[in-house]
Amino acid sequence: MSTKKLTLLALFTTISLAVYAIESAIPPLVPLPGIKLGLANIVTLILLEHYSLRDALSVLLARILLSALLFGQAMSLVYSLAGGIASLFVMAFTMKLLSKRFSFLTGAMGGISHNLGQLAVAFAVTAAPGVLSLLPFFLISGILAGLFTGFCAGAVGRYLIPHLR
Amino acid sequence: MNQPHRTANRNALGFSVLLLVLLLGSIIALLLPQKAPEGYIAEIYQSGIRIHSLSLSDVQESYTFTIEDGNGHVNEIEVRPDSIGIVSASCPDKLCVKQGFITDSRLPVTCLPNKIVIWLRPASDADSEPDIITY
Repeated sequence: MSTKKLTLLALFTTISLAVYAIESAIPPLVPLPGIKLGLANIVTLILLEHYSLRDALSVLLARILLSALLFGQAMSLVYSLAGGIASLFVMAFTMKLLSKRFSFLTGAMGGISHNLGQLAVAFAVTAAPGVLSLLPFFLISGILAGLFTGFCAGAVGRYLIPHLR
Repeated sequence: MNQPHRTANRNALGFSVLLLVLLLGSIIALLLPQKAPEGYIAEIYQSGIRIHSLSLSDVQESYTFTIEDGNGHVNEIEVRPDSIGIVSASCPDKLCVKQGFITDSRLPVTCLPNKIVIWLRPASDADSEPDIITY
């Protein structure tokens, strides 16, 4: 890995941590666990689109581990990992099928799969069938938040990335 | 317009339709009326084990009780006629308290940090365990 690449990935990790910290300061709109914007996903999307799956995965893992260490409880690490990795691979797959103009669709697919991954963990942890009735809420919030983060990633990719080359 | 471009557009349409169907399906699922005529049984799960089960239609007067797990996690639960909720908790985010009182089976009250789930089972349903459990 070249020094330039290393610096760039470190920079992206820092940005996603900062965004994550800012987001956790916003009070939740809906009193349900797991419903949030997922702004840090913008960084994952940008890396997937303009760099590689490997780069996106390393920044994602670094961000999740660091944020769990800095702000989280042990359990939030498992939820973040399940959601983050599920959405990363679904977005990588979706992106292959779509042109860059449709990054908001990729974001929405990522939002859904993030929430499905977390719901799967919640179901495994609590083993209560009632948890599954959260599914419609998680789908709606995943789609809306994903559309937003995907749109942001598209805009950032268009205007910022050319200056990093 | 060349061939790859057209494929990408068709894919985008496919994904849009998929997302729209999921969105509308979820909204419809949330709007469906789900009131059980015979009342509800409140079931409280701690770490996946049912620790309490009580019929809400038998409640005449509100009362509260607490659940502890022995590791310092405490939830105080209030039972009212036809509704149940968590009124105070030791968890950091208090999302379970903000979820308020539930009156039907649409949404459980969930406290993930303390691994508590309260949900209402229609009294007309047989006392059944989940259809399938996979590990």
